[in-house]
Amino acid sequence: MKRKGFIKNIPVLLPWLLLLLAVGLVFSQVERPAALVNVGVQWARVGVLAIVMTAIILSGGIDLSVGSMIALSSVAMGLLWKAGWPAEVASGLAVLVGATIGAINGFLVVLGLSPLVATLATMAFYSGLALMLCGGEKITKLPDPAIDTSQIAGWPSEYWILAFVFAAAMLLVHGTRFGRWCYAIGDNPMAARFAAIPVRRTQWWLYTASGMVSGLLAVVYTVRKGAIPDAHRGIELEAIACVVVGGTLITGGRGGILKTLLGIVVIANIDIGLFFLSGRFKFIGADARLMVVGVLLIVVAVWNEWLARTDDRVETLNEAAERI
Amino acid sequence: MNVAAPTLLQLEQVTKSFPGVRALADVDFDLRPGEVHALVGENGAGKSTLINIISGVLQPDSGCCRLEGQVCQWNDPVAARKTGIVTVHQEADFFPTLSVAENIALLHGLPTRKFGFVNWSAMQKTAQKVIGAVGEPIGAGVPADRLSVAHRHMLQIAATVLQSAKVVVLDEPTSALTSVEAAWLFQQVARLKADGVGVIYISHRQEEVFALSDRITVLRDGRKIWTRDRKDVDGKLLVQAMVGRDLEDSSSDRQRRPDSSAGDPERGHTVRRLEVRDLNDVKGRFQGINFCVGAGEIVGVYGLIGAGRTEMARGIFGLEPLASGSVLVDDEAIEIRRPQDAVRAGIAYLPEDRLREGLCRGLSIRANTVLPTLDRWTQLFRSSPQTEFSSASRLPHQEPWIKRWSLGLLASRRVEQQVTRQVVQQLEVRQRTMEQSISQLSGGNQQKVVLGRWLLAAPKVMILDEPTRGVDIGAKSEIHRILRQIADRGCAILMISSDLPEIQQYSDRIMVLRSGNISDQWPATEVTATQIAEAALPIEKACDQTPAARKKTTSWTSRGAGEWSLAAVIVVLSIWLSLTSVNFFSWANFGNLLAETALWSILGLAAATVIIAGGIDISIGSLLALAAACGGLLLKLPMAPQISIPLAILASLLVGLGGGLLNGFVSLVGRVHPIVVTLGMMIVYRGMVIALVSGRQINSVPQAFGWISIHPESGFRGAIVLGLLVSATLYVVHAHRRAGRHLYALGSSPSAARLVGVSQAKTWLFAFGLGGLLTGVAAVMVLSASMQMQSQLAKGWELQAIAVAVIGGVSITGGRGTVLGVVLGAVLLRLVNLALVRWEIRGEQVDVFIGGLILTAVLLDLFWKRRRT
Repeated sequence: MKRKGFIKNIPVLLPWLLLLLAVGLVFSQVERPAALVNVGVQWARVGVLAIVMTAIILSGGIDLSVGSMIALSSVAMGLLWKAGWPAEVASGLAVLVGATIGAINGFLVVLGLSPLVATLATMAFYSGLALMLCGGEKITKLPDPAIDTSQIAGWPSEYWILAFVFAAAMLLVHGTRFGRWCYAIGDNPMAARFAAIPVRRTQWWLYTASGMVSGLLAVVYTVRKGAIPDAHRGIELEAIACVVVGGTLITGGRGGILKTLLGIVVIANIDIGLFFLSGRFKFIGADARLMVVGVLLIVVAVWNEWLARTDDRVETLNEAAERI
Repeated sequence: MNVAAPTLLQLEQVTKSFPGVRALADVDFDLRPGEVHALVGENGAGKSTLINIISGVLQPDSGCCRLEGQVCQWNDPVAARKTGIVTVHQEADFFPTLSVAENIALLHGLPTRKFGFVNWSAMQKTAQKVIGAVGEPIGAGVPADRLSVAHRHMLQIAATVLQSAKVVVLDEPTSALTSVEAAWLFQQVARLKADGVGVIYISHRQEEVFALSDRITVLRDGRKIWTRDRKDVDGKLLVQAMVGRDLEDSSSDRQRRPDSSAGDPERGHTVRRLEVRDLNDVKGRFQGINFCVGAGEIVGVYGLIGAGRTEMARGIFGLEPLASGSVLVDDEAIEIRRPQDAVRAGIAYLPEDRLREGLCRGLSIRANTVLPTLDRWTQLFRSSPQTEFSSASRLPHQEPWIKRWSLGLLASRRVEQQVTRQVVQQLEVRQRTMEQSISQLSGGNQQKVVLGRWLLAAPKVMILDEPTRGVDIGAKSEIHRILRQIADRGCAILMISSDLPEIQQYSDRIMVLRSGNISDQWPATEVTATQIAEAALPIEKACDQTPAARKKTTSWTSRGAGEWSLAAVIVVLSIWLSLTSVNFFSWANFGNLLAETALWSILGLAAATVIIAGGIDISIGSLLALAAACGGLLLKLPMAPQISIPLAILASLLVGLGGGLLNGFVSLVGRVHPIVVTLGMMIVYRGMVIALVSGRQINSVPQAFGWISIHPESGFRGAIVLGLLVSATLYVVHAHRRAGRHLYALGSSPSAARLVGVSQAKTWLFAFGLGGLLTGVAAVMVLSASMQMQSQLAKGWELQAIAVAVIGGVSITGGRGTVLGVVLGAVLLRLVNLALVRWEIRGEQVDVFIGGLILTAVLLDLFWKRRRT
């Protein structure tokens, strides 16, 4: 089935338009827009992870350990900081730790393990390790840092990191051969190898980048709230949900960074909107939010698969928008 | 009186259209018993569509099919097979993780005994018969992925011959075979003829068509051109009918260099482009390879399958590790460890299997074309891209090295489109737009794109592995014309082919590989076909090239290796634990351990069942909580325990079953990967649990319910019995029921499963439903043990369930795993938990060890797999 011309792009855009409309309506309920900034911080964090996750999923992989990587980096930083080291050194360590454990993930995948199993195992391993290191207690009441890295120019740092990671990812994935390699590897790793693409090197870098970004997020979080290992559970699934809702296929080879941005915006808005609504209407509790997000995820995934099947051109409007 | 022979199969006015394409238009076809009827035509002519209709894969839009006079309509391949039509497809799909015997059995449906249990002895007998017909030493218990492509194909053909079919369709049967195996194939065809079976034979190889067939039908553009007796047809007529125009005479098609003696670099007349000295393979598939190819020369490499041609080519290109030897390009030795090294040195390689090794099917033509050369098509500092075609005689070594290296950062779609356009024009690739998905092109055009992508690299040496396999005649001669042009520009070409006439016609020099060594080489004009074929034959027949025999013995030892090592670890751990703690083996402790093992065996089996079928379920924890909540709610009802308990149990089981089926259904119908579906469902189920549970408690629970897990006085644990029962039942289902074996088949190869008639829908739903049901059973156990409903119940349990399965030997990619392994995995995990409690490691810190165990298990499995191949 072919959809011709401009008509063909409507089914792709339609859901987003509808959802944004609905969400906009909900937002008219918000009394203090300033509160949004703080509420949205956690979603900015998810967004950063989702963007990096997009690149990994495009290449046919997946990283379930991002939450645990944040936890471990955060604990490492907290321990060092509490022991008296300056905050800057501790921050550097956090990023280093993140990069290292990300590199371990990359190493396992390059060895030949399925990314699903490898990152599932390291997810357990890193989070358990984080808990062991801090003795099961969260590390708070940390000494004041010389520079408060949790805020830049009045905005929480997470938003800046999001903007930076987004720009970097757009450039890397859609403007360099590294990105082209990711698509090829996700489509057919064997053919990519036969086409002289450095498959293993690319994969390793992707997972290392994921770890580095997790470390960066850990720094900002620890400065703001301390090293709380439990706080990052489940964030990887939220990130994957954003990627899927955005339209990147979980099997790899198709999708893009802009799509994920859309997914982040949609899910964040729905969750926040429902949260505000639940203040108004008591019957909408945590369970309702969960169910809505879950159903949304599945419905959109089915919709995107149907789109991908009936679309005989590889490039859709979204992808054209991602041209540099 | 009807003098003509009775018709076996008759198709009248069959028409089939796809969106935008008329694949078949009013085609008539008939087949007589005991005849070999060749079906010939270019790619896209409609042969595959016709065959798919006959074998039941597709249904015609209009027209009538008759088998032995009776009107027939086949809705699926299984129906066609039941009426006696057997098809051997070109891409021999098989089940890699299943044994040879089971592969053979699945072709015609697993044999069953009384009560529907799988008949293993009948399966073995059939397998031995088939292997005997092939005549090669192949072990029936060997996993099929250890066999070579040729052997797999031959087994399939032999199995077909042994079955009493009425019509046998052979689609390009010799594409994976060469002379020796092909001779065996022709014998089989003769047998079929003698048995009165009608054979439809599709082949691109004219000599086969003329050698075997009684009648020939030509299709072109979806129409039948004619059907004639073979004796009324000659090569020219055939080609004319296929292509619709006169192709040049094959002798004038000889794109030979006028002075072939000048092309022999041994005599030092031309530049030695490629030189290979004493090349040895790490795995011994080729040894002591010495040859060279001069600029402008096309060297044809011939040899049987297993002679080491592809392995040698891959070794030169850096895809396979070399034990020793050197490769020189333009008299400069090169260190080649990876394909990138080869490309930088100016070597290009076109792989043998275009679909799996050559193309990224989901990407566009443009993306596929520029893939290896992305570093050249950048936007900065280049106004017009330099390609093979725009600067005709420029080769990479003439370009400034620095300029080429430093600009590989920014990709430019505009430049990529420019160069792709040049490639498409020069090679006459028939396509609509370069942004179209490459999977929509015909085989010949796809091959041209793969060729073009390497031309963009301006290589000095091109190695082509079966360049015209699966390519129609028109595209074939175009490709050879292009190859000659490239050679004339100074490139050295190494052409590997199993098509002897092609080798003779298009090469300047011919080289034959035999058992990993170069047996002979001659200038093409100075050798006959017989000489070439003889040089390719192995010297001693007893020299067993097939490692299958050797592997037959190793499969026995490795089959149970996983379970044995698990058991060993468990024994060691138990001994250590009993030594370091006083009352480890007290009845209470032991009982607890067994009860927990029972629970986790069931959960592990729930995860394993789904994973074996090729899926995954990360909603197990939430589903368990939901099932427990529903059961718990029912227990609160003011009813007699005799009613409320069974009702609660039933509710839990049904919720589990329903949840599992829902997961399976959504992923099946929505065609979404199960990880996404179960992720969403996990969130939804958890939401439902919160909605059901919040603010509600179970009070006054009937006592008897608790007995399911533990009897308060005697300490008897019903859980253990339940666990044993479930494990035993699952074992029977997995190993001895057809539905269970279908799980393995689907997980092993979904495409083969479809062809063979294993219903993907039914098997998928069975897998998820069974998994959900087991989750429901576990929910009952948990509910009776804890007597509580919690909204956070079983959070994260799916990780442990998957861990149990993976540690127990279940392969995450599907098709592999045993019930015993999963149970052992559960035992091991509980023991580890116990040990950790002893070390005072509590709560989620345990996860470190779970993660570590999973990694150890999969790394070990990977290690063993690498050692075996």
